[in-house]
Amino acid sequence: MRTLRHDRHGGSSLDFNATPLIDVIFTLTIFVMLVSTFSSMENMPVDLPSPEGSQAKEHDVPDRVVINCLPVSQLSKRTGGARYSIGPNAPEALDVLGDRLAAMKEQNAAMQVVIRADKHLAYSDVRALMNVLAERQIAVLNVAARTRDGE
Amino acid sequence: MRAHTARRFTTEQLAQGVQRIRHRRKHKPHRSAIRLNIAPMIDMTFLLLVFFLVTTRFARSEGMLSSKMPQDRGQVGVPLPISPIVVRIKQVGEGVDDFAITLDNVDAFPATFTQLAQVLSEIQSRPGFDKETPVVIIPDEDVWWDHVVNAWNAALRAECRNIAFGAE
Repeated sequence: MRTLRHDRHGGSSLDFNATPLIDVIFTLTIFVMLVSTFSSMENMPVDLPSPEGSQAKEHDVPDRVVINCLPVSQLSKRTGGARYSIGPNAPEALDVLGDRLAAMKEQNAAMQVVIRADKHLAYSDVRALMNVLAERQIAVLNVAARTRDGE
Repeated sequence: MRAHTARRFTTEQLAQGVQRIRHRRKHKPHRSAIRLNIAPMIDMTFLLLVFFLVTTRFARSEGMLSSKMPQDRGQVGVPLPISPIVVRIKQVGEGVDDFAITLDNVDAFPATFTQLAQVLSEIQSRPGFDKETPVVIIPDEDVWWDHVVNAWNAALRAECRNIAFGAE
């Protein structure tokens, strides 16, 4: 709050209290730092499909394992193959990934898999992953897509 | 009442007294004021704030569709009734819009996935079909994943409750 002071010579000077300003700035900074951390934890940036009149629903899946499928080559996304990774981890071969998922399912039978595949990939790339999951007896499968608000 | 007696000072005493007063003023304990210059702190805070505002990426809203596993190499994972609705998707070119949708035993060729949803709704109203009738989506190997998800979404829009992926 600005206050008006009169100095020795009879003039007036403005006094500015910066404490609330600093408080708000720190609050904003901490908020943005925390939010940016939360949004990048397991969802890598993937160009998900945006269906017309999307029926995709946001719901919290407990005990979920997110598998990200990204094209190997940005120039030939559909024909260049795909790389698969669990969450934000490094990409792995399909058989290695399948073994890891099987081990995780042994520890937690209620585990559900969410596939986040780039929309430019060929169906065969995603189908190979789905076959690996079927071989490991992982029946329940969720596929990520944009919701209507996210279009 | 005491009589007030004026005390007289000599010139020398007066001079000494003045000197003592000046001395006390000179060596008066100086109270040091701690001053904090907060301008650099505000600068750093604004820099941090701008940095995080620019680098923060807010995730776009995404949801999930649920499904069953594809049948592979003739191994039937899901027992099918006699007449499921089979939707085939073929990639006829390299472009994103170069695809064709066909339905087995149905004389309909929807050009878009919205039309596919309308066709599926119309089929459900025929005798022998309802919302529980399985819908099997069989895409070609080279079809864009985007088209596969669109077909799946079209089946959901038509309120089909039994959707599965198939294989050739």
